[in-house]
Amino acid sequence: MDCKTASDLLPLYFDGELDRATSRGFEAHVDACPACRDALVALDALRQALRHEAPRFDAPGALRARVIASAAGMPTPEARQFRVALRPWMAMAASLLLAFVAGGAALAAWQRASSASAVEAQQTRDLFASHWRALAATSPIDVVSTDQHTVKPWFAGKVATAPVVRDFKAEGYALIGGRIDYVGNDRVPVLVYQHGKHLVDVFILPGGGVASDGSPVQMQGYVLERAMLGGQAVAIVSDMDRAELTRFRDLLDSQVQGD
Amino acid sequence: MISTSNRAVVDELALRHLDAAYNLGRWLLGNEQDASDAVHDAYLRAARACDTYAGGNARAWFLAIVRNCCLARLAVRHKEKKNVAIDGNPAAAERAMPQGDDDVGDSLDSEQRRSLVAQYLRGLPDVYREVLVLREIEELSYREIADVLETPIGTVMSRLARGRTLLHKALTDNGPTEPPHGL
Repeated sequence: MDCKTASDLLPLYFDGELDRATSRGFEAHVDACPACRDALVALDALRQALRHEAPRFDAPGALRARVIASAAGMPTPEARQFRVALRPWMAMAASLLLAFVAGGAALAAWQRASSASAVEAQQTRDLFASHWRALAATSPIDVVSTDQHTVKPWFAGKVATAPVVRDFKAEGYALIGGRIDYVGNDRVPVLVYQHGKHLVDVFILPGGGVASDGSPVQMQGYVLERAMLGGQAVAIVSDMDRAELTRFRDLLDSQVQGD
Repeated sequence: MISTSNRAVVDELALRHLDAAYNLGRWLLGNEQDASDAVHDAYLRAARACDTYAGGNARAWFLAIVRNCCLARLAVRHKEKKNVAIDGNPAAAERAMPQGDDDVGDSLDSEQRRSLVAQYLRGLPDVYREVLVLREIEELSYREIADVLETPIGTVMSRLARGRTLLHKALTDNGPTEPPHGL
């Protein structure tokens, strides 16, 4: 094992996340390599300092008492039985419905329609949150590349559907990389573009995305706009001005399916 | 009846991990009152959502709810800070200023207050502080941290590495013998 590999594995070994065989290989290297040993010692010193000097705050008695009081005061299972009893019945109705309609499409559509606005609002908040979190992180990108042929394979195996990756450098929107982020419970690919000083996130939405009236949503100076990219529903989040955003959306919309 | 047992599970789980939950909240929010309120909110949300708990790591599930409650409070706090007019309103300006020790240190004894490590940890950006607290103090695995943060493990690893580097740098740059200069 060389030093490069060992230093990559070092935090994993230190945190007990390495399998046994690799650990043994790593230990063999560390025995012979003072630099890696020092790095390991430094990590351990930091951990000891944190554990001994950064206090672990114990929950105050008042909080414990509050939780216990709330637990006692919550609606009893009897009061909730109406909702609970409804569930098996709903499940049965749902399965009957499923039996009568071809596939599950009708049910899915019904569920979507019934809560579409709530789902969309939640998803919109998720998308803004992801964008802000990425901006706040050291790097908003997991794979840094201006080459679409590098970015696309990187997603393979990490997310269910590989996104259509296009570079729009000629048009002023340069592809600078990609990352994986969460929207609701789904891991989604995110393509990151740069336009001037603006960072543009393009989220490939799961399951074709949610229905929308198509108008952009604004939040704290950032704008979210939905579009289609090569047959996939996407959401664009950026702080670009409206005209630049519209131009970018039209660019995405004009891409045809396939790669 | 599934609901009854789930509720019992959630109650038991919340009380068992109350210290972990409070510790996370306290490091994220910086004071006892906010941390307590956030953890209490999280318990109520967990109890309401007990029917949706689908197994898996219970501690990570609960801590994820706690963290979301904390982030919601932080978001409100940042918004209030942004909107405050500093001119002619010293009291509001005072509140809006980044708070140093006073924010966190009320109930710390002087030894802990002197601890540079704790002070630099408080000075780190939220994303690095939370991951360090979860890994080094709460001793969660990468997988559990990823579940709490709802991010990929790769992100956990890179934030952890970055957080450790930042903290290590702060400690070596300033040397443990020097008096703290307030972060």
